[in-house]
Amino acid sequence: MIQFITHHNERYGYLDSVRLALEGGCRWIQLRVKDATDSEVRPMAIEAQRMCREAGATFIIDDRVELVRELGADGVHLGLKDMPVCEARRILGNGYIIGGTANTFEQARMHYEASANYIGCGPFRFTTTKKNLSPILGLEGYRTIMEQMRQHGIEIPVVAIGGIEEADIPSILATGVNGIALSGVVLRAADPVLKMKQIINISQNG
Amino acid sequence: MDIKINNKLTCTNATTLQELADELELPQKGVAVAVSNRMVPRTEWGITPVTEGCDIVIIKAVCGG
Repeated sequence: MIQFITHHNERYGYLDSVRLALEGGCRWIQLRVKDATDSEVRPMAIEAQRMCREAGATFIIDDRVELVRELGADGVHLGLKDMPVCEARRILGNGYIIGGTANTFEQARMHYEASANYIGCGPFRFTTTKKNLSPILGLEGYRTIMEQMRQHGIEIPVVAIGGIEEADIPSILATGVNGIALSGVVLRAADPVLKMKQIINISQNG
Repeated sequence: MDIKINNKLTCTNATTLQELADELELPQKGVAVAVSNRMVPRTEWGITPVTEGCDIVIIKAVCGG
């Protein structure tokens, strides 16, 4: 299960990245646009949502709870410095997927207890995509967190995130993690559509 | 038969994803489902088979269940 997090570089804009990911077969898109206002992001979000609907893809937006509600997106992803999960749930009600970023089991449990529907767990390794990184987890970190979640009966899916390359995917999924979130690795490829196809293929076949 | 839903062994009579969705009373909105790590759009649920031991991940808005 692959979640593509939008990104941009000198070749592609945010909406290009959505289009490329969908063309490559990804069916879970997170629109993340940092350092912009909701009104700046709104037109982009409307278009991204239209593309996702057309492809039958799940569409969530990073951080912007009000925009998610306004557009009727599928859900929101909340980082550790964004609005708390419980507050987002109060605003959105039960009809929306809420994902929360966790770096530790305690944070994952906190999100779960606050009604999060999945955990974005990371970072796997050092990444240049995000500033303000928490300590890296590596494979051992995922094994430990997945084991702790099992012990505590926490059954929401966990998506690994942060500096993950194609070759890492089988070993990360082998830790029991349910999905992989990717961003830069796709857009940096010479052929991003092909890269996404390869990534999806690896995630399904190991 | 036994299948795995979010890493947990679960018994079901469903033979397609749609039947499983009905069995689990999944809501109309705010649900994402993957079978063997492949996200399956709702329009394909009816033609996606559920087989013994298959690995299903369900992300759904409403907690519990």
